[in-house]
Amino acid sequence: MQAFWKAIARAATGLAVAAVLAVSAGPAAQASSQGVTDTEITIGALGALTGATAFIGGPGRDGIQLAVDKINEAGGINGRKLKLIFEHAFTPAESVAAAKKLVESDKVFVLILASGSTGAAAAANYVRETGVATYNIYGATPIIRKPFAKNVFHSAIPGAEVSSQAMIDRAFEARPKAKKIGVLAGTYAFPQANKKATIPLLKKKGVEFVVEEFDQGSRDFTSQLLSFARARVEAVLIFGSFSEAGFAIKQGPEKGLTGVTWVVDGSAVNDAIVPILGAENTKNVWGYYNAPYFPGQSDAPITAYKKMWTAKYGKAPQGRPNLYDLVGYGSTYVLAEAMKNAGKNLNWDSLIAAWSSLKNSKPSNLGGVEITFPQSFSKTNHQGSTELGKAAIKGGIWQVVPK
Amino acid sequence: MAEFLMVIIGGLKIGAIYALAAIGLIVIHKATKTVNFAHGGLVMLGAFAAYLIVVELNWPYWLAYVLIPILIGIVATLLEITILRPLRRADLFIVIVATIFLGIALSETFRLAQNTEMLAVPAAIKGPPMMLELGEDLIIITREQIWVCLGALTVGVIGLLIFRYAPAGRSMRAMAANVRGAQLCGYSVNRVYAIAWFVGGALAGLAGVFAAPSHGVSPELAISVITAAFVAAVIGGFDSLLGAIIGGLLLGLAETLSAAYVSSAMKSAVSFLLLFVVLLWRPEGLFPEAKGRDV
Repeated sequence: MQAFWKAIARAATGLAVAAVLAVSAGPAAQASSQGVTDTEITIGALGALTGATAFIGGPGRDGIQLAVDKINEAGGINGRKLKLIFEHAFTPAESVAAAKKLVESDKVFVLILASGSTGAAAAANYVRETGVATYNIYGATPIIRKPFAKNVFHSAIPGAEVSSQAMIDRAFEARPKAKKIGVLAGTYAFPQANKKATIPLLKKKGVEFVVEEFDQGSRDFTSQLLSFARARVEAVLIFGSFSEAGFAIKQGPEKGLTGVTWVVDGSAVNDAIVPILGAENTKNVWGYYNAPYFPGQSDAPITAYKKMWTAKYGKAPQGRPNLYDLVGYGSTYVLAEAMKNAGKNLNWDSLIAAWSSLKNSKPSNLGGVEITFPQSFSKTNHQGSTELGKAAIKGGIWQVVPK
Repeated sequence: MAEFLMVIIGGLKIGAIYALAAIGLIVIHKATKTVNFAHGGLVMLGAFAAYLIVVELNWPYWLAYVLIPILIGIVATLLEITILRPLRRADLFIVIVATIFLGIALSETFRLAQNTEMLAVPAAIKGPPMMLELGEDLIIITREQIWVCLGALTVGVIGLLIFRYAPAGRSMRAMAANVRGAQLCGYSVNRVYAIAWFVGGALAGLAGVFAAPSHGVSPELAISVITAAFVAAVIGGFDSLLGAIIGGLLLGLAETLSAAYVSSAMKSAVSFLLLFVVLLWRPEGLFPEAKGRDV
């Protein structure tokens, strides 16, 4: 009987020790080569496929999948094929749940945050805690960038301070003597991140400014535009989607704002804004672009990309492919190059080491088309690219124009 | 003063679209006693059809105004024949649930079919805005504002005249007054209900064409329009076509004035506040059609 109780005590102790070890090790102690087999590497991505930010997540999924297909057609990465699992996530709660599912249930090797700032901010703590190799390809929010995490890399969308400075530069290039600037920002994550970065820059520049906000998906900007008209602003910086920016600019003259320079951020730099504005109302509209070509341009690389896109997805709906298609595609090639450089022994440590030393990475290094700016990383700088093209609407389409 | 006038014109433009949507809703309700919660979905289909005609097919804009009412009218009639006719003897609650989910089905089908945030449709009338001097200030009126205000209101008034004076309108009014009496006078319930849904659908389609350039085409259009159309209809008196026009304009003005002089966050609150005030003060609406009789 005593032996029985001793056996029970030993088993209980063993279980307790195992539980303590498991808990203290935490999720970061999970196999860092999860999702990697001899023949396959599973990557997970999350983003909104419906809702107000579906213009980010849907193209993100399609851009990543297109690159995955092409990389696999070319033989894969060191003999392994890529497999994408994409989870829909619109709200912050959905983003955290999707990240957990992908990492803990689907056991993906790399997590791509293709959700914009809202999802990136929501998943930030989780990816830091787990240590999963993470690629934030769209989120401008500082929450995913600070504090620095060695497992989190960022693609072609730079931090808000970089894009905000670019927008201010555009405004003053068009109106060098402007004394009053309007700032129109959505109340959701990425416009707020940009707004917070913009205000100190405007203060530093010594200009007066008026800040107005709007809810996500707004179509009526009466109060905000009247506020700008009363303040007699000369330029307005808009942080929001193409539809929000488009309707705001369109309603400007109706509220007395004529001759104003409008500068829109990367999300609004989309050809679908042109029919909202009317091609004749686009000469005072400026922006920046996170890629060297717009989908509407006819340069050889973007033409080749559109041909591939159409072959896979059929006739493109209005506004597609967009920036997020391009960055999704280009970023997947960057990730693939990092995985290739990590060698056959692929795990989080080897990948992060290879990724951190990646220089001038671009799709053509693995046979893709050159539609994104090259990305470089270091151990202390995980922002792949901060390059921004100057964007204007010419001939009814957005174009990257010489600076 | 110039600013105030520009705000008023902006409110009238939005109100005219609300009015047009509300009239379609009332035509169907008046003739068939069905509250059509799928009406927003029909407006969204009208806007989507405008996108197809103007942007995808690049046909002249006027064709959208001619073809879409017919097309959406036929769609509405088919919905009546295939879904609502079998439910005609069902409990009112079942009919309401059916139209609610019909509206959701229309919106979600669009969402699944169009993998994009919003489809943009250009304005029907282009050109620089008109500037009128008012003392030292300028009143700026865009051509689109004039077109939408006048166009939508003209269509609304035509709808009202059809309902009041045309033979088809007479049959719908007869059905609205007394179904059994109308049948005894030789009117076919099936035919009149189909006509009512066709007219209501046509008006919804036209509201979609007018709304598309200023709202874009997205599933959210269905919700925003149906909400506003209901509020406008209740303000006007749910069975009054003239009331729907005035209710729509009042709602548009109230929303825009509150956004301009209180805050944009108050816009929706003001419309519902207006609704509650009308319901508490005059539950029959501001312009009830049915008159009490002294016996």
